[in-house]
Amino acid sequence: MAEPVQLQRMEPAIDVSEVRFRYSASGPEVLHDVSLRVEQGEYVALIGQNGGGKTTLAKHFNGLLKPVAGVVRTMGVDTRGPSVAELARTVGYVYQNPDHQIFAQKVRTEVAFGPHNLKLPPEEAARRVDEALELVGLREYADEFAFSLGRGLRQKLAVASVLAMSPPVLVVDEPTTGLDLQGSRNILDLLGRWNADGRTIIVITHDLALVAERVPRTVVISGGRIIADGATSTVLSEADLLGKAFLRPPQVTRVAQRLQKFGIASDVMTVAQLRAQLRLALGE
Amino acid sequence: MPVGYSIYVERPSLIHQRIDPRTKLAALGAVFVLALAFNHPAVLGGILVLVLLAAQLAQLSWRSLLPAMVGSLWFLVLSLLIWPFYVKGGPSLFILFGSTISVNGVLFGLAMGLRVALMVLAAGVWMMTTSPQKLTVGLLRLGLPYKAGVAMTAAIRFVPLLNAERITITEAQQARALDLKRENPFNRAVKSIAIIGPLFVRSIDVAQSLALALEARGFAARDGRTSIVQIGMTTTDRIILIALAAACLLAIGLRILGIGLITRAYL
Ligand SMILES: Nc1ncnc2c1ncn2[C@@H]1O[C@H](COP(=O)(O)OP(=O)(O)OP(=O)(O)O)[C@@H](O)[C@H]1O
Ligand SMILES: [Mg+2]
Repeated sequence: MAEPVQLQRMEPAIDVSEVRFRYSASGPEVLHDVSLRVEQGEYVALIGQNGGGKTTLAKHFNGLLKPVAGVVRTMGVDTRGPSVAELARTVGYVYQNPDHQIFAQKVRTEVAFGPHNLKLPPEEAARRVDEALELVGLREYADEFAFSLGRGLRQKLAVASVLAMSPPVLVVDEPTTGLDLQGSRNILDLLGRWNADGRTIIVITHDLALVAERVPRTVVISGGRIIADGATSTVLSEADLLGKAFLRPPQVTRVAQRLQKFGIASDVMTVAQLRAQLRLALGE
Repeated sequence: MPVGYSIYVERPSLIHQRIDPRTKLAALGAVFVLALAFNHPAVLGGILVLVLLAAQLAQLSWRSLLPAMVGSLWFLVLSLLIWPFYVKGGPSLFILFGSTISVNGVLFGLAMGLRVALMVLAAGVWMMTTSPQKLTVGLLRLGLPYKAGVAMTAAIRFVPLLNAERITITEAQQARALDLKRENPFNRAVKSIAIIGPLFVRSIDVAQSLALALEARGFAARDGRTSIVQIGMTTTDRIILIALAAACLLAIGLRILGIGLITRAYL
């Protein structure tokens, strides 16, 4: 295997430039001239309606898909060069359905699969596995049967098995589907903790309320184009723009916008913010 | 969910739309009988041309037939390499590894290759021109129990579905740095479990939910089912069936008489 991809501080984590993509030569173009730059250490949400092109774009980040035109660089490396397995050192990718990757009997073996593929020394691999299990809160399940875990725990297992490879960039495709609020919060919180260590996270999700609460930057994809990109509080408060992607601002934001004439800001993202604004407006 | 592929290709052709699935099934059977009845490359080649003509009539592109043709070509090469060592007779050509290679041997090798090509292509053309739904209805009319009919359509539906699952699973494991191409054969076998395992679990999952979904929609609540797909035999079908039967009888007769054969020693 080639040398690990060099971590160059100044490189953007993901640099997509004027990318076009179609699944087959005769098929329709699915990404039209997409450009996106994600710096190292950012935590970004990719949102948009079904079929908008989120997964297609995300699969370009680790070279699962190669652009038909344009260039994708992850940590400065053109994804057309290395294989997906080589890029896996740099970019972790968690699939939506954990059942697409769980195969080992024991939770621990499952998590160790990636580190072993990276040919890490045994002690190092074991340490990473323990860390990952700890981080997602599966420590006491380490010796359980992987398939006997419930859906929420399997989702965490899938995340842990990629975290154990310790990639500087992590892409997570719809980690919250099929999870209840508690489970979804858990996952986004743990991604937040991972991000706090300076790693880059890109999360695809339909859960705007959670994005509003927890993710600082939001990118909206619709019809294969990026139609909005910026601070979450700005992007998620623009009802007209979101409407184009058949989305709408989170409920609390819409409430705040209705109360604008009472001096409430229109980019309120959380209940706590709304409460603070109301207190202010009521002169408390 | 994007589906990998489906074998049937819808076309507005006579063969697709007008001919009864039962007739097409019979035609496939007849081609198999003919392919086995003769072992002279000229005869088999002639029948192969007929099958290709049928494909043209069905407006199938050459491209869609390519995989079947390439596959058969391998067999042709293989059988040309093997049969001349076993089948003797006719003028000798040369001596290879102490064995005399004769004209008949080469011709027979050619014939066996053409026979496989014929069967593979006929089956391919048949699958590309017969919609699974219509085929099922046809088989039900022939007395297939309706549960078996649904099982059959489901199985056909499963192939592209599981293929899509396999692709997703492979991608997910690649993203965990699994690189089967770089492993030695032993490790490759061991590590394939990372793909086979989830695929197995997914298939059981899909099968189980399919069974539930069928039951939830009243499957097997009554004896038998109706179908919105209508099929029926026309005069054309009857003429084709009679012609097929005649061809088969003729072929069997010729076989007994020893016409259209390179050798009687092999099938
Ligand atoms: N394997 C494939 N082959 C062909 N077309 C595909 C394939 N995967 C996706 N597409 C098409 O590409 C477009 C974008 O799909 P994509 O899966 O990227 O959307 P998405 O934003 O991730 O949607 P979702 O929210 O449903 O996951 C869609 O029109 C889809 O039909
Ligand atoms: Mg998607």
